[in-house]
Amino acid sequence: MKKLCTLLFCLLAFVELKAQMPHDAIYMNKKLACGALVYGTSSWTTYWENGLKRDNPNLGRLTTQSATAMIAYGITRDINVMAMVPYVKTDASQGNLMGQQGLQDASVFVKTKTKAYHGITAHGVVGFSIPVTNYVPDFMPMSIGLGAKTMVIRGMLSYALPKHLYVNSSIAYQARSQVKADRDAYLAGSKLYQTDQVAVPDAFDAAFRIGYLKKDNQIEFFTEHFSCTKGDDIRRNDMPFLTNDMTMTTVGIYGKYQPKAFGVNARVAYVTDGQNVGQSTSISIGVLYQFKIK
Amino acid sequence: MKYIFSFLILISLVSCDKSVSESMIEPYAPAKVDETAGSWKTFILTNSTEVVVPALNSDAAYKKEVDSLKSIEVTASQKAAVLYWGAGSVLRWNEIARELAARYNIPPAANAEGVYPVPNAADPLADPKFPFANPPYTARALAYLSVAQYDALVSAWKYKYQYNRPAPSVLDASIKPLLPVSTLPAYPSEDAVVAQASYVILLAMFPGEGPFLAAKLAEAKNVPLWAKTNVNSDVIAGANLGAAVAAKVMARAKTDGMSTSNNQAIVPDMIAHAKSLGFTTVWASQELPARPPMLPNYGAVKTWNFDRTTLESIRPAIPYLPGSEAFNKDLAELQTINKTQTREQAAIANYWADGPGSYTPPGHWHRYACEAGIEAKYSEVRMARMLAYVGTALMDAGVACWETKYFYYSPRPQQFDLKTSVGLPNFPSYTSGHSTFSFAAAAVLVDFFPDRANTFMANAQQASDSRVYGLIHFRVDCTMGGKHGKTIGDYAVQRAKSDGAN
Repeated sequence: MKKLCTLLFCLLAFVELKAQMPHDAIYMNKKLACGALVYGTSSWTTYWENGLKRDNPNLGRLTTQSATAMIAYGITRDINVMAMVPYVKTDASQGNLMGQQGLQDASVFVKTKTKAYHGITAHGVVGFSIPVTNYVPDFMPMSIGLGAKTMVIRGMLSYALPKHLYVNSSIAYQARSQVKADRDAYLAGSKLYQTDQVAVPDAFDAAFRIGYLKKDNQIEFFTEHFSCTKGDDIRRNDMPFLTNDMTMTTVGIYGKYQPKAFGVNARVAYVTDGQNVGQSTSISIGVLYQFKIK
Repeated sequence: MKYIFSFLILISLVSCDKSVSESMIEPYAPAKVDETAGSWKTFILTNSTEVVVPALNSDAAYKKEVDSLKSIEVTASQKAAVLYWGAGSVLRWNEIARELAARYNIPPAANAEGVYPVPNAADPLADPKFPFANPPYTARALAYLSVAQYDALVSAWKYKYQYNRPAPSVLDASIKPLLPVSTLPAYPSEDAVVAQASYVILLAMFPGEGPFLAAKLAEAKNVPLWAKTNVNSDVIAGANLGAAVAAKVMARAKTDGMSTSNNQAIVPDMIAHAKSLGFTTVWASQELPARPPMLPNYGAVKTWNFDRTTLESIRPAIPYLPGSEAFNKDLAELQTINKTQTREQAAIANYWADGPGSYTPPGHWHRYACEAGIEAKYSEVRMARMLAYVGTALMDAGVACWETKYFYYSPRPQQFDLKTSVGLPNFPSYTSGHSTFSFAAAAVLVDFFPDRANTFMANAQQASDSRVYGLIHFRVDCTMGGKHGKTIGDYAVQRAKSDGAN
C-alpha cells in the first residue's frame, strides 16, 4: 500500500503552454489528500521566431516565475481528482516592456486507471482550466497566460519493470477556447481579422518517462513534445501572438523525496527544439503535505 | 483498443470548429445615388473630364453585350465574390489596403553588425520587406488610395450621366442581377473604376504584392459581370478611367517628398535645434542596438489641405520643458501609472495601440470611417469623398505631427525610467501621433456624421489618453497633439464644404 503523493506535476515554466498536467501513473489512496506549494522559474534568452533561432536585446532574459497551490484527493484508489492555481509573474531583463503578474488559470483534473493488458495499466485524465483573473492575453511574450479556457484529455499507459523501475507514455489533446483580446483587429497568417475574438489553436502533447519509484521516493527522466494542431508563425522581427503554431520538445528530470507526511519535489526541464517559443530552462521545487480526510 | 477508441471519440468531441466570425457587411442600394457628383471638386484632376471616356457603342452592340450576360452561370465561389465585393468597392479596397499595411508594419531587424538595413523598394520581398508600413507610411498610402478612388469616381459619375447607359437589368427585365441596382447609369462601371485605380496605387505602395493585387483586381472586375450589373464595355471603360486617374495621382505621390522622408543626415541639426530651445535631454532611441529615428524628414512631405506656411504657423508651441515643475507633474502621473496601472487603463492602451503588425492608427480611423459610411448607406462616390477627406486629414496630421516631433526632438518617458505596456515607438515624444491622427480624423467624421459626434470625439479622446495609460507619452504630448489634430481636421472640413457636394 503505497502512500504516495500524486503531485508530480509538470509545471512547465513556459506557462503559456499550459502544460500543468498531472501525467504520472501514481494514485492517492481513498480519502487521502495531498497539498503542495510549488515555486517555479523559467527563463530564456533565445527563442524561435518561426524557425529562426535568435535572441532579442530588447527583451534580454525573459523570466516567468510562478507559485502554484495544488491539492490532490483520492476518491477511490482508482479515481483521483486534482486542482491547482498558479500565481505568475513575468519580467524582461532588458528593454522597456512592462512585466505582468497575477493569478493565472485554475484547473481541475480527474484521473482514473484500469488494468489493461499483461501488466500494462491504462489511465485516462480529463482536465479543465479557466482564467481566474482578467489578465491581458495579447501582450506576448509578457502576458502571464493565453487567456483561453482549455479542456485536456489524456490517455496514458504505464508498465512496471523489475527493481522498482517503470515506464510511462502518454498522449493528450488540448482543446482551447477562443480568447477575447484587448485589440479589435489582428493579423493571423496574412489575413487581417477585424474582431477581438482570437482562435487559439488546439494542441497535442506526448510524453515518455522512465523512472525509479520505491515507496514515496522517485526519480524520473522524461521527454515531452508539444505541438499546436495549426496556427501561424511569428513574422520576421514581430512579437509572438495567440494564434501562433507553437512547437517544442523538452527533456528533463524529476525527483521526489517524501519520508513522512511532508515531502519535497523538484523538476528541471530544458527545451531542446521548438518553433515560435522560447528556449526555456525551467526549475521548480515544491513542498508536499499528505493528510487523511475523514 | 477500446481505450484508444474512447480517446479518439473524446478528441472529436472537444475539437469542435472554432473559426472566428467577423461581422458581415450586406450589399445595399445607396440612400442617394448622387446624380450631381460629376461636378464635385476633385483633388488632383483639374476637372472631371480631364480623362476622356470614349463614347458608347451602338445600342445594338450594347444589346448584344447585355444578351451575353444571360449565359453567365455563376459558381458558388463566384457568388461569394459577388456578395463580398457587393458590400462596396471603395470599402473593400480600403480593407485590402489596411490588411497590407498590417502585413508590412514591422520594423526591420538589426543585422549581425547591429545595423538596421533600410527596406529597398527595388527588392521589396527581401528582408527587411519594403515598405515598413509604419503610421506615416500607412497614412500616406491610404490618403493616395482614397484620393485616387474619389477623383476617378467623380469623373466616372460625370460620364455616367453624360452617356446615361441604363443598367443591363433596366434594359432587359429578364436579366436578374445578384446585387441591388439603383438608377445609376452603368457606363463606365464604378466598380472597375475603383478596382483599377486602387490597384495602381496599392501596387505602387506595396510593390511586392503584385500577384496578390492582380488576383484581387481580376476578381473585382469580374464581379460586375457575374452579378449582371455591368457588361464588359462598362468594365473596360471603367478600368481605363481608373488607371488614367490613378496615374495622375501617383505623379503627385512621386514628387511629394516621401522619397527623402528617411533622410537621416538632417538629424544632427535637429538635435542641435532642440538643444537651442532649452532641451537638456533630447530624444534617444531606447532600442538595442539604437535604431535611427523613424522618417525624420516626413515633416517635409507635401500636405493636402493647407500649405507649408500654415503648417509652420499651426505647429504646437511647447508649453514647458523637461525638468520644469509642470513637466514633473506629467512625469509623476506616469510614475503612478507605472506602479498602479489598472486593467481598464491597460485595455484602453492595448485597444488603441495599433503597433507593429497592425494597420496603425490611420488604418483604425479609416475602418471607423468605412463603418460609418456603410451605416449611412453612402453611394460609392460619397464614400470615396468622405474617405478622401478623412485620409488627407490623417496624412496631413502625420506630416504636421512629424514636423513637430523633429522640431522639438523631445525625450520619451522611457528615458525617465518608465516601462511600457504597449511597446515604445522609435521617434521623439512631443506631440503624440495618436492624438494628432485621432482628433484630425474625428474632426472630419463629426462633420460628415454629426449624429455620431459624441462617439467620434470620445474615441479620439480615448485614443489620446491611451498613450498616457500605455506610458509612452506625457500628458502634454497628448493634449497639445489633440488640439493640433483638431485644427488639421478642420482644414479638411473647410475644403469639403466648398467642393459642391453638400
